[in-house]
Amino acid sequence: MMKYSPDDRLSLKITAVMDYLPAVMQCVETASIFFGLGRDESLKMRLATEEIFSYLCSRVCRGYPLEIICQGCLSHARVEFHFSVSSLDMGALNITTVVPVQNNVCVTEVGLEVGLIIASRIIDRLNIRTDTQNHVVLSIEQDKSYPVISAHVKTMDIQGELTVEIPDQERIRRFALQLGAADGDPLRPAFFNYPGKVADMVTAGHCFALIAWDASGNIAGGMLYRPLTDKIIEIFSPCVFFEPRRDEISTLLLEECLLKTAKTKTQGLVSLTGLPLLLQPQFEKLGDLTYRRESGSTLVSSAFCRLLHEDPGCQIWTHPTMKDYLEEEYGRLFLARDIHLVQHLGDTKKGESIFGAEMHRERSEVIFRPLWPGDDFSKNLNRHLDLCRKESLNNIFFILDLGVHWHAFLAPSLIKEGFVPKMIIPFAGQADLVLLQYDKFEA
Amino acid sequence: MTNLKLESLVPAYVREFEPYIPSKPDEELKKLYGCKVLYRLNNNENPLGPPPGAQEVIHGFTPPRGAVYPSGDSFYLRRAIGEMHGIDPDSVIVGNGANEVIAFVVKAFCQRGDNILTADKTFAVYEWVATFSGIEARLVPLKDERFDDQAMLARVDDHTKVLFICNPNNPTGTYWNQDTLRKFLDALDGRHMVVVDEAYFEFVEKDDYPNGISLMKDYSNLIVFRTFSKMYGIAGLRIGYLAAHPAVADMIRRTCVVYSVNSIAQEAALACLGDQSGHIERTRALVKESRAYLCEELARLKLPVIANEGNYLIAKLPGSDTLAYRKLMREGVMIRPMTGFRFPNHIRITLAKMEAMQAFVTALKKILGA
Repeated sequence: MMKYSPDDRLSLKITAVMDYLPAVMQCVETASIFFGLGRDESLKMRLATEEIFSYLCSRVCRGYPLEIICQGCLSHARVEFHFSVSSLDMGALNITTVVPVQNNVCVTEVGLEVGLIIASRIIDRLNIRTDTQNHVVLSIEQDKSYPVISAHVKTMDIQGELTVEIPDQERIRRFALQLGAADGDPLRPAFFNYPGKVADMVTAGHCFALIAWDASGNIAGGMLYRPLTDKIIEIFSPCVFFEPRRDEISTLLLEECLLKTAKTKTQGLVSLTGLPLLLQPQFEKLGDLTYRRESGSTLVSSAFCRLLHEDPGCQIWTHPTMKDYLEEEYGRLFLARDIHLVQHLGDTKKGESIFGAEMHRERSEVIFRPLWPGDDFSKNLNRHLDLCRKESLNNIFFILDLGVHWHAFLAPSLIKEGFVPKMIIPFAGQADLVLLQYDKFEA
Repeated sequence: MTNLKLESLVPAYVREFEPYIPSKPDEELKKLYGCKVLYRLNNNENPLGPPPGAQEVIHGFTPPRGAVYPSGDSFYLRRAIGEMHGIDPDSVIVGNGANEVIAFVVKAFCQRGDNILTADKTFAVYEWVATFSGIEARLVPLKDERFDDQAMLARVDDHTKVLFICNPNNPTGTYWNQDTLRKFLDALDGRHMVVVDEAYFEFVEKDDYPNGISLMKDYSNLIVFRTFSKMYGIAGLRIGYLAAHPAVADMIRRTCVVYSVNSIAQEAALACLGDQSGHIERTRALVKESRAYLCEELARLKLPVIANEGNYLIAKLPGSDTLAYRKLMREGVMIRPMTGFRFPNHIRITLAKMEAMQAFVTALKKILGA
């Protein structure tokens, strides 16, 4: 079996020209196989790479340096395309971009689909992020294929004092098996159903596990958590395998999670998929999200947060459209914020805006983030909403960073088009994030 | 602008370390939280301030003296400390607060691959300094809210260089008596350095509480920390010291930054040592009265309390301590949430003047809906 090392990566530094396409595709496919993907999944990575590389060469950064990094993450493989792009060409990175059907005319309604959206359909996740100096990282990820293990796991009689600790490999596997066999919470992430995937994610450090066991080594329950952002950890509700001691086991697991994270750089724990009633008093409710399933039914999930340190307070920026909402939420959450209103000064904004799109097709979900300001925000937003309708994406979110001045200007268009602010996630961005959910579906 | 690659320049243990963010100045906090007054019950400061002699020093410091360097090694202060404890002044090293002498000790004794040992729920700076210096900090769980001597001994190995004991412990206020401390030192048999941090020494009146400095004659591997920030009320001047066997102090001195302690701090500390005004007795009386009052009020609210030595106690709340911090700030009371000390749902309250204690109790009742 391949020994996992987070430093294992394959890097290709080339110029973005089509002559390299066969080499790039071969490299990505070979790396995907080496990093543990099956033949079908590796082929998907190859095809997505073909779309993306061709697109970058033709529309985005032709002739410029491009670095392609293939990385194995045990449960999935990841390919990153690193490049710089002039601000004039930024608009081409929107997932909605289409090629002109006639010379010099860009007709979005009838244009041809290009690389990014096609690639996003092929693989499991596609994401784009930018940082300063127009450096862009476009990433694609493909999960390994894991069997669903539905074997019945005998419930153990848990006796005596419990130990809660970070488990070794053997316990992770046993816990993952029990987890997979346990009755599923409809909101729990899909990877809970694949014991092998849980074990790989924990081994790779993409997810952390705490497990409670008794003196005989019987597993009483466990809890998974993972980084959501640099400063926020997402926790999943404790899983308890011994009903008579449910409260005790849940409490012990949460307490140990707090102890493990209390002296790290983590500012807070967030639960986006709900918590048992017993643990809710230790958290602050952030808000509710409504998930629309393919069947048309809806599922409401409550999100909670617990900060680990004193709130140092900070400045945030908002458009008057969202001021009342933010003031009310900050008051309810007792968070000290210096709220600044932004206003248009009549200055000229040139260029096309760009949104990052994080797509989770298995949940019919897309999360947009503003990556670049421009003068076409409303039009761009509509293009993205059209795409979501076309792709049957029912759960559409938009995240604004309240610490980024120009993000505040986007609020009026979002609200006009049917987005509703649902919650503030403290310290999840440069300042707090506000999460808006699209809520204007036709009946 | 040059393309600075910090990843290749900064060691991973520094990159990974999250800097401590101190709270904002009071005036900024009052604006942020919309409160008119702010009772500071978060840092275990002495509400009586410095003793009268030290206050005179502060008032009398003339501006032209600001241009003159202080004594680089706190000459007169070390001499006074030596006299007071009956030890060689060269056994004493003064630092810019006790935090600085922690860094001196770690730098002097530890290199990559070494470890330090302390408790999981104690003053955080031992662990921080070790971690951002690339040294492993081994944390031993408290037992019955006190340092667990046997468990600590069991974790010692050949790479253990320094064991940090906070006596009395911040935040639980528990302490090792003379017998426990001696047995612990005997068991280590001089193979490892032992730091006994006595930041709250002057608050403890129990007969069996050991004076670490008096044990130094028997244990050359013992280093004792003291501070002027707590009982002596000059936290704002930043001054503390360590005492150790002269040969040990000589080694530690090699890692010290001279001139780090300013002139006012040195002179005010000197005045503190010579105080005859009854400052310590007044402070002890205030702490005793406040502790009794607060314990009674917290018992009425049915909140579990850990109240032992020191000018602080901790209380367990039914919910999040960090939320309680924010709610109490809105009421003008600043306490210390204890999740960061690995005491989730606990808050630490400085025992201060009755007015502040009453303001805290009123605010706490309000936020708990009691």
